[in-house]
This record gives sequence, C-alpha cells and structure tokens, in this order.
Amino acid sequence: MKLLLKAGRIINPVNNTDEIGDILIMDGKIAEIGPELSCEGAAVYQASGLVIAPGLIDMHVHLREPGLEAKEDIASGTRAAAAGGFTTIACMPNTKPVVDNSILVSGILQRAEDEGVVRVKVIGALSKGQEGKELAEVGDMVYAGAVAISDDGHYVDNAELLLNGLEYLARFDSPIISHAEDEALAGDGFMHEGAVSAMLGIKGRPAVAEDIAVARDILLAEYTGGSVHIAHVSSKGAVELIRQAKKRGVRVTAEVTPHHLALTDDVVATFDTATKVNPPLRSADHLEALLAGLKDGTIDAIACDHAPHAFEEKDREYRFAPSGFAGLETSLGVILTKLYHTGKFTLNEIIERMTAAPARILKLNSGKLEVGVPADLTIIDPDYEWIVDSKRFYTRGKHTPFDGMKLKGKAVATIVNGNLIMQNGEVHE
Amino acid sequence: MLTWAGIICQNGLCITPCHHGREFIYLGGMVVTKSRQVSLRNKSILGLENMTVAEMELVLDTAKEMKNIIDRDIKKVPTLRGKSIINLFFEPSTRTRTSFELAGKYLGADVVNITTSASSVVKGESLRDTLMTVEAMGVDVIVMRHQAEGAAHYAANTVSPLIINAGDGAHEHPTQGLLDMFTIKQYKGNLQGLKIAIIGDILHSRVARSNIWGLKKMGADIHIAGPQTLLPRFIEQTGIHVHNRVEDALEAADVVNVLRIQLERQKKGLFPSAREYARIFGINQVRLALAKPDALIMHPGPMNRGLEIAPDVAYSEKSAIQEQVKNGLAIRMALLFLVLMGGKNIETIA
Repeated sequence: MKLLLKAGRIINPVNNTDEIGDILIMDGKIAEIGPELSCEGAAVYQASGLVIAPGLIDMHVHLREPGLEAKEDIASGTRAAAAGGFTTIACMPNTKPVVDNSILVSGILQRAEDEGVVRVKVIGALSKGQEGKELAEVGDMVYAGAVAISDDGHYVDNAELLLNGLEYLARFDSPIISHAEDEALAGDGFMHEGAVSAMLGIKGRPAVAEDIAVARDILLAEYTGGSVHIAHVSSKGAVELIRQAKKRGVRVTAEVTPHHLALTDDVVATFDTATKVNPPLRSADHLEALLAGLKDGTIDAIACDHAPHAFEEKDREYRFAPSGFAGLETSLGVILTKLYHTGKFTLNEIIERMTAAPARILKLNSGKLEVGVPADLTIIDPDYEWIVDSKRFYTRGKHTPFDGMKLKGKAVATIVNGNLIMQNGEVHE
Repeated sequence: MLTWAGIICQNGLCITPCHHGREFIYLGGMVVTKSRQVSLRNKSILGLENMTVAEMELVLDTAKEMKNIIDRDIKKVPTLRGKSIINLFFEPSTRTRTSFELAGKYLGADVVNITTSASSVVKGESLRDTLMTVEAMGVDVIVMRHQAEGAAHYAANTVSPLIINAGDGAHEHPTQGLLDMFTIKQYKGNLQGLKIAIIGDILHSRVARSNIWGLKKMGADIHIAGPQTLLPRFIEQTGIHVHNRVEDALEAADVVNVLRIQLERQKKGLFPSAREYARIFGINQVRLALAKPDALIMHPGPMNRGLEIAPDVAYSEKSAIQEQVKNGLAIRMALLFLVLMGGKNIETIA
C-alpha cells in the first residue's frame, strides 16, 4: 500500500526543519521526502494548509488493562490515542495485577498487537505489587520489552529501594520514572495548598512535598549515576531543582502535562471532580515556571498522564473521588491553544516535546521524519477550532476539566505504520 | 385576626403571595413598606462566598421579624404549609439540625430528618442515589450536612430541590455565618469597621470560613489567631489579618468568636496537649481584658469548657452564646421563607 501526502508543512524537530513538501509512504515506511513527489497508484492525501509531524508520542498513559477495564482497556485507550493524534503511547503498570513481571509485559504487548490501533510500549513496576518493598524483576521486564520502570501513582517512599533500583538498572540502561510527591506531606490532601485551598477548606498537597521528593530523586540519581525521569512536574521548586541538576550533569529528565500548563487551582472552586488530579493543579506562579522550564529545556517532554476513571467513580464528593482524568483526546488541542496560539512556543518546539523528546527518553526508534523509518505520522490542522465534548471521546473516562472548552488546533489524521487509522476525528478499524 | 386580599392571617403574622406575585410580610397594624431589588427565591444557599451583601442583608432583616415569632405563646404560622423539607445529615449535629427542624415546623412546613447512620447510606448507597431518592419524593428543600467539602455544591448540581448547606466539611456553614452576623449586629448595631477576632482551629473550621466570607463583605476587620498549625497557610492572601499570638488578635477587639478545638487534632501532632492549648491559646478573663471593655463573646458550640474557653467567660454577661442559638433559629426561618416564598420585590409591612 502506498500513500502520498501532498503539499504539507513538514515539521521535523530532529533537524529543526519546517518546509512545504510531500512525503511518500510505501510498505509501512517513509520512502521519500521532498517537493512535488509523485507515485503511480498511490492514494493521495491533500495536506495543503496542514502540518505533517512525526507521530506524537505520549509517554505517560494509563490503559488500565488488566483488571480495571471499567475505566479503560487497550482497545478504547489506543483509539483515544489515535483520535488525539498519538501513534505511540507508553502505559503505566498500576493495573490489577500490577505489571511487575515479564509475562505481564509480554501479555500487554501481545494484546496491544491484537486489539490496539497505535503502538503500545510498556512500563514495568519498580517494586513487586508496587508495594515499595522488594525490587520487581526489572531486568526480565526490560528484556521482555519494557521501555522504563516506574511505581507511578505512588512515590517510592523507601530511598533504599530507589537507590538499589537505579544501580541495578544501570546494566539495562532503562530510566526509572518517578511520581515525586512526598506521601507524609501530600498523602491526605486533595488539591494544591494555596489561597484557594485555604478558603475551600480542602486539605492541600503542598508544592514543597513535590520539591522534597524531586530533590531526593535527583540526589540519588547523582549518587548512583542512574537515570531518573520525573513524571508530571508541577511545582516551580521542582523545575529549579531539575534545572540545576541538569547543569551539574545529573541524568535527569522530566515531563509536564497539558493540564498543569493550562489550568490553575482556581478551577477547583467548582468542586468538579474532573479537576482532581495528582500532583494537583497549582497556582499561576507555578504554571509560569513550568512554561519557562519547558521552553528552556529543563522539562524535556509533554505527556498527558491520561488517567481515565469510570463515571461512577468520579461522580462523587470531591474528597472521595479518585485522582486523574482522560487526556489523550485533548492534549494536542490544549497545548496548541495555550502554547502556540499565545505565541509562547513555535510549532517546532511543541512537536519536539511531543515526539523527539519522549523518543529520546524511552530510546524509541521514532519521533523523526526520515527515509526508511516506520511511517508513523500525525497530520495537524493548527487553526481548527473545536469545542471539547467528552461524550464523543473514545476513552471510557468521560471526565475532563477541559469539557466544553473552546480549543484551536487538532490532529486531523493519524498514520501508524503507513496506515491511515484516524481521519477527521474518526478512528478506522 | 387580620385579613388581607381575602386571606386569613393568624397569630399576627401572615406571609402569602398576593395577586401580583409579590409577597408581603404582615406583622400587626402599622405599615412600613420597604422595596428591594433582591430575592433569594428558588436559590440554593451553598455558602456566603456566593451571596451578595444585599442578599445577606435581606436574610438578616427578615430574621429580625422571624425572631418575634419564637417568643410567642403559639409559634406555628401557616406560611410554608404544604412545603416539605428534608434534613439530610451525614454528620452528627444537635443545634443545627434541631434549629432547622423547628424553623420549618414553626413556619408550617413538613420536616423529615434523615440520619445517615440509620439509612441506606450504610448499605453503600452513593450520594447521588440518596439525593435522587429524596428528590423523587417531591421535597422542596434539602438541608444537608456532609463531611466532604463541596458536597452541597454537588447536591445542587445533581437534583432539583433547593439545597441549604448546613455544613460541608471544612468549607462553609452559611447559616452559622449569618447567625453570627445577626448576633453581632444585634449588639453592635452594624458590622462595618468592627475588629472581629476569630480564635482557635481555623484550619478545620467551616464556621470560620463562612464568617470570613460574610464579615469581609460587610466591611469588618477580621483577625484570626491560634496555633500556627491550625491556621491555613496562604489565608492572609484573602485580605485578613493572621496572628500566631492570640493576644494580638484580642487587642481592642469588638467581638471575640471562639472556635471549638477538636481533641483528635492533638493526635495528629497539630498541638502538643489540651493543657498547653488552654494555657497558651485559651480565652480566659485575663486575655479577654485585652479586648474592648464591651467586647462580645461568641462560640458556635459545642464548647469544650476549660479548653478553648474558660467557663467564667462563656457564662459572663459579655457572652452571646445562648443568644446565638436563638438567632440561629430566626436565621433558618428567614432562609427557608426566602428561598421558598420570597418574591422579586419584598415589601415588608411591619
């Protein structure tokens, strides 16, 4: 099968290029990139006025399978990814059971092959059952295909466990992804601690709980020479700690979510449980620091922390509702609206942080546009205006703080392995 | 017995819709008419954050008239006859629940109490389903107390009966805020410029938050004080004064509102012991001497006598604690009346 993308604005952040041209896809690979290409028998996709980017990668997704299928499964989660323009996603291991051995890694990869529509990478647990006690068989999981190791959802409270994990994983060159929030300080809080929480009476999760956790993780990475990736950075203190650590040459990388870049804790005043997430939505000073950190490279990647929950779980009193919400189908739109259309970031910068950066962290052979690589591409209409309607989501998680919001910019086609799997929001089987 | 527009009014009070859809309050013979462009009709009362000064003043003025009923020999009036009110309490309560119950009954409504320990909630019924069950029975007002902040907002977004928040976690307790304002006005004439000290566990207190929202809008000068661990961080950003020395808040205060200290906070390490709390932060006669000589003492109850407040302060002639309870009943009568029967133009005929 041949597909010819015509007259698109090709943005390739790996070479920092941005020019109008055509891309020919043959046998699932990029066959040619250049001006005015033609090919006998190829289906033509007219991309004039549209952006052609490497397929978007989200390195922080909860697919919830196995065990939590009321929230999401591989079929629904990968369709949500395709709808949002993502060609590769990495799924977190906090399922039931926890993905803490190689059989589960292989099983998810196999099921994703059978039922998924985008590429699925697996992240294995650091500790058995994510209990924070014994090291899981992390080497075995890496050999089975795990791209990173994480106890996401929980902070690794036991410093010795993280230290051992970092040292042991050096042999496998696989990063540990840390959900960095000190449990003793943040554990029983439900929102950012600030002026808003003070008057809502909701127990806060102070920013210092994240700062402390990030500081410890950085110090252990520095001590062991291991590689740590800080998930969903949300505090200005954490940004500064990572900035300083990178200057010292510590092997630390970081990601930020669209919601932490776009929303502040004011939105919690509605008590809408769609605003409940860990780490919490913070105040404007933190948001500004995150934007600056993403701009100057302190924060490497954008990842949405897609964390869908079933309706009945979120349909509760604020303090009893679980944290997290769906993100795959709003991620790009929110980022383009808040970062590109405000003039803060170029398209090249945004696409780099959603493709090449996560590929670099997870050591994936994707996130670039060059002849011979698998044809994973996302076609974006940066000026498409739309209103978020969670009822139309492919994900089972219908709660999102962006519901009803007007966004500008959307993926209009997703191509995985040369196959056009999403067009104009519709995912093809 | 008075009559007007063909409707019989008993006991000197009759509140009834007239032919033009406007409402009147009757109280005896002399007539004073006051017209307002404000109404609470069909509005849920979730917190003082969401109430305007005009709305709060409407409640306070209406409560003044309601208070007269409480002292009468025969208290029942037919104003809310045919209306039903559910007291849905997920947390224990004596004064608030009883107060709402009597308020509804004095005004002629049917009032039913649901205590969740004896309801389907113990079988695991969700808040939505509990609320929808109550809604299906056709109730007009749900008075709700719940341990979770925002539960009243959730209820108002979920079902059609009007919601009156009787306390949601540490968030708000609007009727307590209104009755505290009413009590202060009763003794001090108005609220503008008064130095009001709120002492104790502000962190966990919905009473404090409703007081802060309401009194700030009324122009009072608010000072909170207590152990630093019981004061919410960043609350000074809302424009109130924060002290970790109780004495600084008491200095020349017009009103001292003492909050309840829950002993379980000690177990969490927020203060070392009850003894130490009483010694350093408790309101006794010596500390009270720092306040103005005519300072008013208030406490939302239930009190821990000898802990946050000394008994000789609680029972002194400066204490309005008993009056607060009575005023609470008047405020709740006023609110129930206003949300169910209040009109666009309220004309008060006294």
